Amino acid sequence: MLNTLAQLFPGISTLFLQDPVISLTRVALMIFGFILAYLGFKRVLEPLIMVPMGIGMIAINAGVLFLEAGKIGTIFLDPLIEDPSALVDIMQINWLQPIYNYTFSNGLIACLVFFGIGAMSEIGFILNRPWASLVVALFAEMGTFVTLVIALKLGLAPGEAASIAVIGGADGPVVLVTSLMLAKDLFVPISIIAYLYLSLTYAGYPYIIKLLIPKKYRGIDVEVPTPNVTKKSKFVFTVIACGLLCLLLPVAAPLIVSFFLGIAIKEAEIEPYQTLLETTVTYGSTLFLGFLLGTLCEAQTILNPKVGILVFLGILALAISAVGGIIGGWLIYKFSKGNYNPVIGIAGVSCIPTTAKIAQHAAMEENPFCVIMSLAMGANVSGLIVSAIAAGVFISTIFML
Amino acid sequence: MGAIQYALFAYVLTAVIAFAVVGVIVGVNKLLSGGKDNGEGEV
Repeated sequence: MLNTLAQLFPGISTLFLQDPVISLTRVALMIFGFILAYLGFKRVLEPLIMVPMGIGMIAINAGVLFLEAGKIGTIFLDPLIEDPSALVDIMQINWLQPIYNYTFSNGLIACLVFFGIGAMSEIGFILNRPWASLVVALFAEMGTFVTLVIALKLGLAPGEAASIAVIGGADGPVVLVTSLMLAKDLFVPISIIAYLYLSLTYAGYPYIIKLLIPKKYRGIDVEVPTPNVTKKSKFVFTVIACGLLCLLLPVAAPLIVSFFLGIAIKEAEIEPYQTLLETTVTYGSTLFLGFLLGTLCEAQTILNPKVGILVFLGILALAISAVGGIIGGWLIYKFSKGNYNPVIGIAGVSCIPTTAKIAQHAAMEENPFCVIMSLAMGANVSGLIVSAIAAGVFISTIFML
Repeated sequence: MGAIQYALFAYVLTAVIAFAVVGVIVGVNKLLSGGKDNGEGEV
């Protein structure tokens, strides 16, 4: 009778048959998945990622069953299969396996997200005080490099340390590609931590701004130059910058070309492509990215002893980057004799366009007539370019460690 | 190479490449817009 019940409800019975630690972790992850999905629904966290991720997390930990030879598992996907013939076999069974292998484990999904980001970005913003934007972006990348050192001192392998450190660039696709290339065993927890924290920046960064920038400076209205940028100009420098970056950092070329092709399509006004990238590609890839990340949150994966360190390092990287960006903002404020709002510094952290919106919101809270959005977006686009470059530098040179 | 030396090296390399790219962007824009100011003179 008990055996029949166990076969009838394997999701429940496996909870009693597995190692108690794994069973408890499964239950905890189901609850955590529900919390993420609900916070996404309430718009506390980013709903585009968190709703599919939370539901995926619940499903993968609930939908456990008995497989061949009494093995316990799921029919979602197995990220650890490497043997080609076993992979072909498992693709006939696990329904998400083809999507995982053809879009996720090779970084394609990150590139698709970058296509969309490119198509929605305005490269012209970078010409609103370009050097100031770049300096701020470089300061806002500090979290990446400081965290790298701390991670290495904590005993992580160089590839693992670099992968967790790039969270400081606050760019999900960049983290995904870096961890896939440098820390394949840890890319699941690193990617999940990255996307979780990126959702939290919206809630945490305003407090860092208030802590580091006194009220009277937050509302500084800035004289924004209006650069003379033609469509032709934007298209040409986009194509040249893309070629140059691919030449300098071939390992980051997939991400770079995806981003700049998106921009080029926008500037060339190829409307059918632009609509495709801005809607279908962006939302399709984001949906599968969130859902796959959720389904990768199996208890066994999360129980990796290094996850605790990664959780700490991820938040540290983002916090240091935020502080670095604001230091950069102060520096430009001093150099330009007050004609810069230090709040823009936070936008150097490249979470497009979230951090730019945070900067604008913080400034408007103190001065309703203060418009810094175009400068903040310039810093944002610079931040994205800098974080892609930093990831490319790590991937190309980490062997030196 | 030690951790701190590597981090410094990677940071400087990132900065150099980023300045080169933004320099190209500013330069091309200046060239195509007939040398009109596009903010590159400001910090």
